[in-house]
Amino acid sequence: MNITIENEGNIIVARLVGRLDTAAAAEITPDIQALAEKAAGHIIIDCSELAYISSSGLRLFLSLRKDSAAKGGKLQVRGINDDIRQVFMMTGFISLFEII
Amino acid sequence: MDLHTEFLLEQYDELRPTLEHMSALVEELLGRTLRQNDIEVTSVKSRVKTRDSLAGKLALKGGKYGSIDDITDLLGARIITFYTDDVDRIAAMAEKLFDIDWENSVDKRRLHQLDSFGYNSLHYICRIPKSLYSDPDYPQLNTIPFELQLRTTLQHAWAAINHDTGYKSGVEIPREYLRQMSRLASLLELADDEFSRIRTELTAYRRRVQQLVSSGRLDDVQLDGDTFGNYLQTEPFDALNKRIAALNQAEIQEVPLDAYLRVFKAFDCRTLGDVHRLFLKYEEDAYSLARYQLGNTDIDIISSAVGVQNICIVYILRQGGGKIGLTRLFNAINGDNPQNEQLADITYMQASNLPFMKQGMLR
Repeated sequence: MNITIENEGNIIVARLVGRLDTAAAAEITPDIQALAEKAAGHIIIDCSELAYISSSGLRLFLSLRKDSAAKGGKLQVRGINDDIRQVFMMTGFISLFEII
Repeated sequence: MDLHTEFLLEQYDELRPTLEHMSALVEELLGRTLRQNDIEVTSVKSRVKTRDSLAGKLALKGGKYGSIDDITDLLGARIITFYTDDVDRIAAMAEKLFDIDWENSVDKRRLHQLDSFGYNSLHYICRIPKSLYSDPDYPQLNTIPFELQLRTTLQHAWAAINHDTGYKSGVEIPREYLRQMSRLASLLELADDEFSRIRTELTAYRRRVQQLVSSGRLDDVQLDGDTFGNYLQTEPFDALNKRIAALNQAEIQEVPLDAYLRVFKAFDCRTLGDVHRLFLKYEEDAYSLARYQLGNTDIDIISSAVGVQNICIVYILRQGGGKIGLTRLFNAINGDNPQNEQLADITYMQASNLPFMKQGMLR
C-alpha cells in the first residue's frame, strides 16, 4: 500500500495504490492525520489504483470526511472501482461522499 | 456659533472617550443578551453622535438644552429585528437590563391615529445601571443616557427611504407624496404582521406534528421536510440497522437521512403513515438483502442509512422498477453520476438471488 500526497494547483491529491486492508490502514494513518490538518481546503482521494478497501480503510475515509466537514473544506473521492463502490453502497456510505 | 453651543460642544469633546467606551459596551451587552435568549436579528449597532451632527442639532434647538446631560442621543443603539413580536421581546429584555427613562422614552408605533401610518419604532432612553457594569476610569458611564431604537427590517427600510427622500432633500414634500409614503408604511405594517402570524402558526404546526408523531398517529401527519425530520427523531430504522449491524458486530455511524424525503415522496407517500407502512412491509426483505451483501464480508462499520436505503431498493424491485428504477434511486440519494448505472446493475444482480425477487413482483 502506497500513499502519495501532491498538490494539483489548489487541490491536495492523496493517491492510494494497492490494497487498503487493516495493516495498510494503520500504516497510512499518520499520513491521513497530516492530511486532516489541511482539511479546510480541497482534498481529492484518488483511488484509481486502489484495489480493495477494508472497514479500517473506510474508517480513515470517514475520519477525513468528518474533519473536512468540520473545517468547511471539500473532500472528493475519485476513481473507485466497482468493488469499492459496492462496499460504499452496501454499508450505506455512498451518499456521504462526493464520488467523482 | 453662540457661546452656549460652544460650551456644549466642549462638554461633548470631554465626554467623547466615555461615549466611545459606552458604545462598544452597549453593543456587546445587547448582542450577548440576544444570543443568550436565542433571538436572531438583522443587526445590532451603536454609534456615537458626531461632533458635526451635534453642532447641527444645537444650531436648530440649542436653547432647549441646559447642559450636555440633557441630550439623550449622544449615543444611539439600534436593533433591527426580523419580526414585529421580537421588538416587544427585546424591549422586555432591555427593561430588565437597563434603567429606562420612561418620561423620555416613546413608542412611535402607538402614536398613529387609527387611520394613519408612518414611522414605526420603539425608542427607549436608557442608562447602564452600576449593578450591570461600572468602571472607575469612566465614572459618567452610568449617568449618560443613550437611545435604544428597536424596529423591524421593514420598518427600518421605510424609515431609511423616508429619510433619504424626505428630510435629506431639504424641500417640503408635497402632500401627495407624503400620502404615498404613508400608504407604503401601511403595506409594510401589514407585511410585518403577516410575517409574525406565519411564524406563530408554523411554530404551532410543528408542535402539533411532534405530538402526533409521539403518539403514533402517523396517518394524520402530511409528509414534508419538518414532519420527516420529526419522524426520523423517533429512530424508526434503528431496529433494522441494529439487526444488520449484528451480522458482523458492526459499528453504526450516524449519517443524514434527509435525502430520503424526496425518495418517499417519489414513492407516492403522502403521510408519515404511508412511510411507516412501507417500512414495515419491506423490512424483512431489506434485511435479507443486507445479509446477502454483508454476511460474507468482514465489514464491521455501516451507516444509519443502510436500513432505509435497502427498504427503498426492495420497494423499487418489488414494484418492477428494475435497474432503471434503481439508477433513479441512486441518482436521488447520491447525486447524478453516470456510475450509478453500474451500481444499479450490481445491486440488481445481487437482489436477483433473493427469495423476494424469485417470488415475483408484488404491489
